[in-house]
Amino acid sequence: MSFKLPPPTKPIFRAQLSSRPANGHTAFIPQIRKLLFRYCEKWPSSSRTRTYLTNHLEVLARANPHVEIVVQQRNQKEPIVRGFYLNGRDKVISLKEFEVTQIQQKVQLLLDSSGAKIKPLKRRIIESSTESARGIWSGLHVPELYKI
Amino acid sequence: MPNLLKLGGLRQIAARALHTQLSSTTSALALIRSQPNQYVIASLAGRKYLLAPRDLLTVPRLNDVRVGDVLSLSEIHEIGSREFTLRGDPIIPKDTVKVAATVVEHTKGKMEIIVKKKRRKGYVKTIKHKQPYTRLRIGTIDVAVSEPVS
Repeated sequence: MSFKLPPPTKPIFRAQLSSRPANGHTAFIPQIRKLLFRYCEKWPSSSRTRTYLTNHLEVLARANPHVEIVVQQRNQKEPIVRGFYLNGRDKVISLKEFEVTQIQQKVQLLLDSSGAKIKPLKRRIIESSTESARGIWSGLHVPELYKI
Repeated sequence: MPNLLKLGGLRQIAARALHTQLSSTTSALALIRSQPNQYVIASLAGRKYLLAPRDLLTVPRLNDVRVGDVLSLSEIHEIGSREFTLRGDPIIPKDTVKVAATVVEHTKGKMEIIVKKKRRKGYVKTIKHKQPYTRLRIGTIDVAVSEPVS
């Protein structure tokens, strides 16, 4: 009959050493890192995009110093804006025939987003990785053992 | 109106049974503060939520705030820990407990396609809808320490 002694020190399991993500808990890091604008020099579908790039882009760049803004000319193609995020994902929005105000709204949408995939949020009101402060009741840790 | 201290549940753990009846908010808060973890029940945008530090709270879009702004929760109805709970009437005094919430993002939910139909009338309407949300990260729960006046 083999008898196993308990380990001298409490074993640390690998899972408990990983960190829980909590962006914004103490420090907040904006999740967008780069905005890429692609436009055509000639086509009329890009005309208002060109207006936006000449008139409003610099103000946007100064207001958001954490974002790298890149403008690329891509002729004979429709205009797009692409947002790159810290989680490695990107979001693409076509700006074909968009007015300047609509372009501003779409750019703001990209700036506000975290890059996470769009998922149903109706039921996910609180996402918590903190253990309950009041603890969880246990039938074995009461003065009288709870009998099922 | 005095705030009442309510002992957690009806558990009578012999080692920790405290048969004290405290009437002062500060001594109640000191007891709650002494314990390792706390939770708050605070209302935001007209709804009550049970919040702990590091939670990610999703509320309908708040148009007045920008991403990165830090909000301070002003309506806290209850603060509790493992053994003790302090419930306000209807809220606990404003500057006693401070909870900060950082706006992490403004998103939209999944696309919902709503089809309305009246049969035999030729009426069919398709509505595509994405509900906008704001997500907030709850910071630490700071309970004010009141210095005794000497």
